[in-house]
Amino acid sequence: MDAAAQIFAGGLFQGSLYAVMAVGLALIWTTIGVFNFAHGVLMMLGAYVAWQLTELGLPFFVVLPLSVLLMAGFGWALQATVVRPLIGRPNIVLVVVITTLAAASLVENGALQIWGPRSKQLPALGDGNTMIFGVGISLHQLTIILVTPFVLLGLWLFLHKTRHGLALRAVAQNEDASLLVGLNVRALYGLAFAISAGLAALAGIFLGGYRFMSPVMGADPLLKALIVVVFGGLSSITGPIFAAYLIGFFEAICSYYFGLYWTPALLFAVLIVTLMIRPQGMFSSKTRGLA
Amino acid sequence: MLLGFAVLALLPFLVSDSYSRHILIMAFIYAIVASNWDLSLGYGGVFNFGHLALFGIGVYAYGLLTKFLGLDPWLALAASGVISTFAAILVTLPILRLKGIYIILVTFGFAQLVMQLVLSQSDITGGTQGMVRIESLYIPGHNLIRDQKLGYFYIALGILVLSTIFLRVLVRSKVGASIIALRDNEEYAVSRGISLARQRVITLAASAFFTGVAGAFYAAYQRNASVDVFGMSLSTIILSMVLLGGTSTIYGAIIASFVLTIFSESMADFGAWRPIITAVLIIAVMLVYPSGLAGAAQTMFRSLGRLRRNSTAAPAEASEPHTSR
Amino acid sequence: MSQLLEIRDLTCGYGRIDVLHNISLAIGAHGNVGLFGPNGHGKTTLLRAVSGLIRPRSGSISFNGAELTTLSPKAIVELGVIHVSQGNRLFPDLTIGECLSLGAYTTAARQREAASREEVLSIFPKLKERWTQKVRTLSGGERQMVSIATALMSCPKMLILDEPTLGLSPKVKEELCAAVIRISGHGVPIICVEQDVEFLLELSQHLYLINHGEVGAEIKPGQTMDHGEIMSLYFGK
Repeated sequence: MDAAAQIFAGGLFQGSLYAVMAVGLALIWTTIGVFNFAHGVLMMLGAYVAWQLTELGLPFFVVLPLSVLLMAGFGWALQATVVRPLIGRPNIVLVVVITTLAAASLVENGALQIWGPRSKQLPALGDGNTMIFGVGISLHQLTIILVTPFVLLGLWLFLHKTRHGLALRAVAQNEDASLLVGLNVRALYGLAFAISAGLAALAGIFLGGYRFMSPVMGADPLLKALIVVVFGGLSSITGPIFAAYLIGFFEAICSYYFGLYWTPALLFAVLIVTLMIRPQGMFSSKTRGLA
Repeated sequence: MLLGFAVLALLPFLVSDSYSRHILIMAFIYAIVASNWDLSLGYGGVFNFGHLALFGIGVYAYGLLTKFLGLDPWLALAASGVISTFAAILVTLPILRLKGIYIILVTFGFAQLVMQLVLSQSDITGGTQGMVRIESLYIPGHNLIRDQKLGYFYIALGILVLSTIFLRVLVRSKVGASIIALRDNEEYAVSRGISLARQRVITLAASAFFTGVAGAFYAAYQRNASVDVFGMSLSTIILSMVLLGGTSTIYGAIIASFVLTIFSESMADFGAWRPIITAVLIIAVMLVYPSGLAGAAQTMFRSLGRLRRNSTAAPAEASEPHTSR
Repeated sequence: MSQLLEIRDLTCGYGRIDVLHNISLAIGAHGNVGLFGPNGHGKTTLLRAVSGLIRPRSGSISFNGAELTTLSPKAIVELGVIHVSQGNRLFPDLTIGECLSLGAYTTAARQREAASREEVLSIFPKLKERWTQKVRTLSGGERQMVSIATALMSCPKMLILDEPTLGLSPKVKEELCAAVIRISGHGVPIICVEQDVEFLLELSQHLYLINHGEVGAEIKPGQTMDHGEIMSLYFGK
């Protein structure tokens, strides 16, 4: 019984983390139709920016939103340099993979230069541990579990109840028609990237609070986000959200029974099997819709 | 192109210090990896993100074969190529009928998986420390390090020549034509009886053999192996060689490899700035010259001697072995 | 007197292939304009050039004196040139209400949103019943109505319709035709591409036959041509 509760808590935590990590990636894929390989690096940068701000003495409740905003701006800038100029090219997906990869390498090495290779740590979102239903869990993890649904809800509200959210959904569904209705599609691309980067920054701050940060910390989350997005389906962002929690639980179960070493292999196997039976992902529909 | 190789073969007479030869040897190795990547990426239209993993497999295969099985280095060299080929076939199976982004994702995952595997089996692979003191190649009666690595130079060059001949022959053969046909117009090619699955396996397997051999040679030459070969930085550098040279031009990748390796070495003083500058270069090239330098040259030729092409000529194009993007 | 829409020596195409060759049309002097002709001969390309989705290789397109070929699609929409695309894919997962809101995206249109919506619903009353349904779930005819309704929300100064009756049943076609004529009656000039020449004749008296990317024939009001003559033009001599 105790094990089950532990696994449940662990799965919930991992799932929340994955949801925040993957949703940004899915956002870009559904609106713009490209894969941002710099997503992991954005998480890392978010963590480092937050770290730098706390070093400057700012209180954490200022640091968090400030970092997210700064990273949103960075995401917008990233899009303007390595994605927007390529719009209209026939193999844009491939080229963007390459440019975002190069950008990722750039940012990673840049971070290495600026902050050095030694591990750093961010303050946790809550200090100490607590017991819930007989399960020991850190406050940091608990905060993440509780905060994530609100973040996702906020995103959903933005997409469904605001004008710009509507515009983003429209672009995801039919770009030509969006142009004909007078939408500034390029600016919307920037918005999508900004939101995605902000979410990535949040994920990075979550990670930095309980794991050691290093310039290469973004590689593993990127891979995980990738698996979640592919598993969840590339046609909307709700699919990956479900998938995130599912995979979070799956990973918790695997880690408990098979140990940490084999979990990546098992996850990868899941990825392969999914792609073979249902290439569009578990929770997707035929049309690309964003939400 | 025989001329080019002849020039390369005579280079040691011009370039006679150990360091410069080292640079050239590295350039040869990268050229092999890059040109083979172009086979699957440029000619086959399949973005195998795990190509460098095949290189890494070659590296570790050689190390493990010579160290634990005591295999003769030359045999191990060839065997590593075979092992890489098998790995390529293995990775092709899940992506047999996938398209575009899924291929990229799965092969990316594959590369990460291989790296994890190598790291986790640290008893035999040395984990993050890597393997050291790997057995090297030998020529009876000749010390390879002598004469400023002359022996290594010619072996590397030899492998490059073989690889290039192999690629050229393949691309010009019927097999090559069908690979290109699948890339250019999949539906049409399939309707003409070309098996997508089979050709994909052939493409990736073919691109793997010499890549694995190059990996093995790298291990033999450096005499150590580390998981850095699986890292993003090396992939990015080699990819930039492929792109800079222009996809679906074998020689483009080779020339770009030389250019980039020499350029990169001359920047060695910049230390950590090197990958940053490389990254900026890649982005710049992608923004300005999507078909790479070779593509730019070809576009020039094409506009000089314009051929009137009909929009319905797509099927006919498939039989031209040198169709470029 | 400047025409409403003037297309001069337009050469346009995709990649290296030109679809339109030095084509010239003058629209506005004689009311609505209909474009007809065989498929693949450039009618849709022409419309896409006007709305800014593709850039012509040479030539000019001017609307009320303003040059369109250098403007972005957004700017062209802001000028009031609204293009309803062929096929009615629209936004599959948006509701009718959301589509119409989207139609009123530009600042000018947004200010008139409530009034526009009333107008639209008076022309297409059926849409009210399905207000919260997603476009994906609608029938072909209904989707076409949503397409045109969305366009109306943008306060068009000129409406471009690309094959509005394609794939629709005769009854639905009639309904749509009546609606389009009503819209025209409200004072919006319409350019319509259609296979159904009868539809065109009800809507306009100024027709162009587009053939092989060029103007094959022009029929001005006053030139009475019956259906048979037009058909022979259409199918060539």
